[in-house]
Amino acid sequence: MKFTYSWLKEHLETKHQYNEVVDKLTAIGLEVESAQDTGLAYKDFIVGQVLEEEKHPNADKLKLCKVDIGREKVDVVCGAPNVTKGMKVVYAPVGSIIPVNQMKIKAAKIRGAESYGMMCSEYELGISNEHDGIISLEEDAEVGSSFADSSGMNDILIEIGITPNRQDCLGVLGVARDLAAAGVGKLKNREFKEEKGSFVSPIKIEIQDYDMCPAFAGSYIKNVKNVASPDWLQKKLKSIGLRPISALVDITNYVMFDQNRPLHVYDADKVKGKIIVRSAQDGESFKALDENTYNLKNGMCTISDEEKVLGLGGIMGGESTGCNLDTINVLLESAIFDNVNTARTGRDLSILSDARYRFERGIDPRSTLEGIHYATQLILEICGGECSEIVLSGKISDSLNTIDISCKNIVKRLGLDITNDEIILILNSLGFGAKKNGESIHCTIPSWRQDIHGEADISEEIIRIKGYENIPTSNIRAISKVNKHILNSSQKTISKAKHFIASEGYNEFITFSFSDSKKSNFFGEVEKLKIINPISEELDILRPSLIPNLLGSIKKNIARGIDSLSIFEAGSQFSSTTPEDQINSICGMKYGLRNSKTWRNEKKEFDIFDVKNDLLNVINHLVPGNKKISISDEAPSWYHPGRSGKIILNKKIEIGYFGELHPRIANKFKIKTRVNLFELMIDNVPLTEKKTTNKPQLILSDFQSTTRDFAFILDKDVKSSDLIKAALNVDTKIIKSAEIFDLFEDKSLGNDKKSMAIKVILQSDEKTLDENDINSLSSKIVEAIEKSTSGTVRS
Amino acid sequence: MVDFTKLEQEITNSLSKVTDLESLKECRIKYLGKKGEISLLMKELANLSGEDRKTQAEILNTLKNKTLGLIEDKTEELNDKNLNEKLSSETLDVTLPVSSSLGSIHPITQVIEEVVTIFGDLDFYVAEGPEVETDYNNFTALNTSEHHPARQMHDTFYVETQTDNMQNVLRTHTSPVQIRSMLEHKPPIRLIAPGKTFRCDNDQTHSPMFHQVEGLVIDQESNMSHLKGCLEIFLKTFFETDKLKMRFRPSHFPFTEPSAEVDIGYTKKGNQLIIGEGDDWLEILGCGMVHPKVLQNVNIDPNSFQGYAFGMGIERLAMLKYGISDLRTFFECDLRWNKHYGFSPLNFPSLIRDLS
Repeated sequence: MKFTYSWLKEHLETKHQYNEVVDKLTAIGLEVESAQDTGLAYKDFIVGQVLEEEKHPNADKLKLCKVDIGREKVDVVCGAPNVTKGMKVVYAPVGSIIPVNQMKIKAAKIRGAESYGMMCSEYELGISNEHDGIISLEEDAEVGSSFADSSGMNDILIEIGITPNRQDCLGVLGVARDLAAAGVGKLKNREFKEEKGSFVSPIKIEIQDYDMCPAFAGSYIKNVKNVASPDWLQKKLKSIGLRPISALVDITNYVMFDQNRPLHVYDADKVKGKIIVRSAQDGESFKALDENTYNLKNGMCTISDEEKVLGLGGIMGGESTGCNLDTINVLLESAIFDNVNTARTGRDLSILSDARYRFERGIDPRSTLEGIHYATQLILEICGGECSEIVLSGKISDSLNTIDISCKNIVKRLGLDITNDEIILILNSLGFGAKKNGESIHCTIPSWRQDIHGEADISEEIIRIKGYENIPTSNIRAISKVNKHILNSSQKTISKAKHFIASEGYNEFITFSFSDSKKSNFFGEVEKLKIINPISEELDILRPSLIPNLLGSIKKNIARGIDSLSIFEAGSQFSSTTPEDQINSICGMKYGLRNSKTWRNEKKEFDIFDVKNDLLNVINHLVPGNKKISISDEAPSWYHPGRSGKIILNKKIEIGYFGELHPRIANKFKIKTRVNLFELMIDNVPLTEKKTTNKPQLILSDFQSTTRDFAFILDKDVKSSDLIKAALNVDTKIIKSAEIFDLFEDKSLGNDKKSMAIKVILQSDEKTLDENDINSLSSKIVEAIEKSTSGTVRS
Repeated sequence: MVDFTKLEQEITNSLSKVTDLESLKECRIKYLGKKGEISLLMKELANLSGEDRKTQAEILNTLKNKTLGLIEDKTEELNDKNLNEKLSSETLDVTLPVSSSLGSIHPITQVIEEVVTIFGDLDFYVAEGPEVETDYNNFTALNTSEHHPARQMHDTFYVETQTDNMQNVLRTHTSPVQIRSMLEHKPPIRLIAPGKTFRCDNDQTHSPMFHQVEGLVIDQESNMSHLKGCLEIFLKTFFETDKLKMRFRPSHFPFTEPSAEVDIGYTKKGNQLIIGEGDDWLEILGCGMVHPKVLQNVNIDPNSFQGYAFGMGIERLAMLKYGISDLRTFFECDLRWNKHYGFSPLNFPSLIRDLS
């Protein structure tokens, strides 16, 4: 909310400096977002008076003027058509800066005539768009005085952020009241005068639904003359950035910003019959003052007459009964509208208005009558006319809520020692009418505080005024420990996995949890993942997989000229939009050269064995010790069917996939390079708590080990794992390891054939193997492999 | 009689002319081989007798030993020479570049781990919740009714599923984890909940997805002074400065009462923010005492239990601590950015070593 310091001081009598007041605002929860000295731009400008003016000898449209600026008399060449002898003007001396264009005034020779300084228009000062002539000040402006002082431009524009609970501070009066409570001044007494009407309002008010509108006060004023507002009112509205319209409208705006009391004024001659406050009917429509037509629904609160909807209660008036300069008779409205209904209607119709903002936060019911009397007075003063008796339909509740609080509880909540007496003092300064009542304090909640319901709310009031800086700092380590573990097993696993994968050369990326349905349908059922109000068409679903967003990032990095990239993301992916259907996953991707931009002769591209290696390494890191890992070629459909695999842990856990991205998907993403990736189903990593810190006993054989190599000619589709399995199964005790060490294809081997060589290490735990043992084992190995693979040993 | 002096002279001469190991070997064979000159003369000793044999044997032995010595010296000399030649031929340009094989950890992960490390030391466990939430957990249970003005400030994303006839949402803050945790555990509770959050807002200073960390303490005694103590330890440890200044300011959140926003003192030197110096204030987090209605909503008696909650933006913490100026760059996936602002994967935040 915006207001000026001078406006605030109309309600607050204070001896404090303005910066103390500004600091106090923030300290009591009315956060100052900006405070700017509005006179600063005008500090160099002086009130001058034109002593002489004559035509410039060399230019038809220019005049030579002599201007009295108090300390001296200066020559100024002026082009304004309205400059006349005796006129009081705003003089910009040499060296001053013109606000509208930041131009610095210099002494100049204009068509041969000396000119020192300039006389300014409103446009040049940034006050308005008026640039046809220079400003003509009031006759009483003192020559030589500061323009900012004499014109009231020396002010401070303050903007504060009002939290949704502080509806009471949506008017300057409320802000002053809070400041006074906080001890930086005294709230000025307002003279409240009831306007006694001289006749009965010819427009009756009928409320059909008291839940929507508990009370509606009306004042009929006849024979007004709607004019431009007087200077003081225009200045006030302009000072907070509002555009003056006409006296009737300006007065209602002024009362709203001053006293947080929204009002509305109807052209009474356009109202047909009585005013009816009623629910809208489905299908009704209404043209509002913002010139938009709104389709209304049952349940919305309308102000209607006997023919049509005139306005939306608490939100916006209508065009049909708007006031203009020809308006003669008016009806002034001051009402109470239900906050929930106002909020719902405003939201459904997407209307933002100052009235809605106030009504949906709750309005002080007592302002209803005070506001209508005050505004009626102003109308009579400015526009003349005669007012009716105030009509009130409905009921304004007189009773105030009360609450009993315990000092002990307040101290316990705040951690601050504060006495009963101080609490009472603070509450009374805020208007709570607090009284000691045995052990507790009895508080009456002021009508303007719609946000106070319980003891916790009162505790905030107390500490707000006492000052948050007075809360002591207590050591929380003194309180005994409550948690056995900080991270659970799953969190530890994810953290370990991230660091390990990054140590394998992958850079961690974080992408949105949203993705593009058009590019994600390869990875899941996108219809089940829709966001109702997406930020853009390309982010219209929850991601079924980490892959599409990472592919998007790969594409961007390729475009940036990066020829080799290893990235990963650890995050959530979704199978539906219910809270339960979210899992964690980690996806790593690589493309390009294994050694980017190297001078070495190793310009080999990443392949699936790189990602397979990385994935197996991380699985070994996460699941240390004995385990069984098997690999099959059944990877999900987004992988290249012939270049991908699935890793199974302990025979049944699908723990990860690896392979080359399916070329069809690469195409869809317009990625031309091969992308290899792995996915780690991190939620499937077994989370067994460690039972012991001991590792299994290590048995090392001291007997000599022997290595034997065998090569086989095999069909191309025989898998290396079949060879290894066959070899190991010959004697699981003596055969310590079996590894593939050579693989090649050649025409000489036959069509669809390949050669694969296996290295086997033989070692007994009981004796040194002799030649016979070794030969016998070797033939068994050859036999077993030939049998299981239908291959033949190469001699 | 053989002229031993001449022979010795000849041996010395020919060895001095040797320049490679091959000719040295030839030399050795010529004099000391089975049919070498010295060996033959040794054999001939057998034909001599008495004093002659003794004298000549002595001379021959001396000559043989001297020759062996010379050959050994020469061998060493030639080996040295060969090695030097090899060394000079093997010289490499050691300034040729090598490449690092380490990847990097994202600043968001780093900051979350730092936060977890600090609060873990203060006995907060890490709780989690889903990114899709029920309307009830995200708003209603947190004392934010359907028409509360605060709800409209949240710019909520809605999804097509419902829970209890209310549209599910992408959580707008990490606070619903409070609700889930309090329904699951009885007090005392002390937790933090880092995670992703979503608001329908996308401009210079807003991202539709961002990260927060929530804190919650519920027991019988924790009050605002503990909240202040807790945040003071956290902020000083996180920003790694004991000079940090902290200011509590009244604010409003539907789920806390009293509520506060916390500012930290900073100054600006050039483009750099210096936390812990200067007189300017920067908003860093929101907090307050948990609203009694929130406790009632999770079946905790607000007359017996109380506590505090706080929430802060991870990106903001990262930006302030690590001098990252643009929020949106966190999710742009530009490798150059990740390499510049990322962290070594071997760096685990620690209070006994280094936090960052």
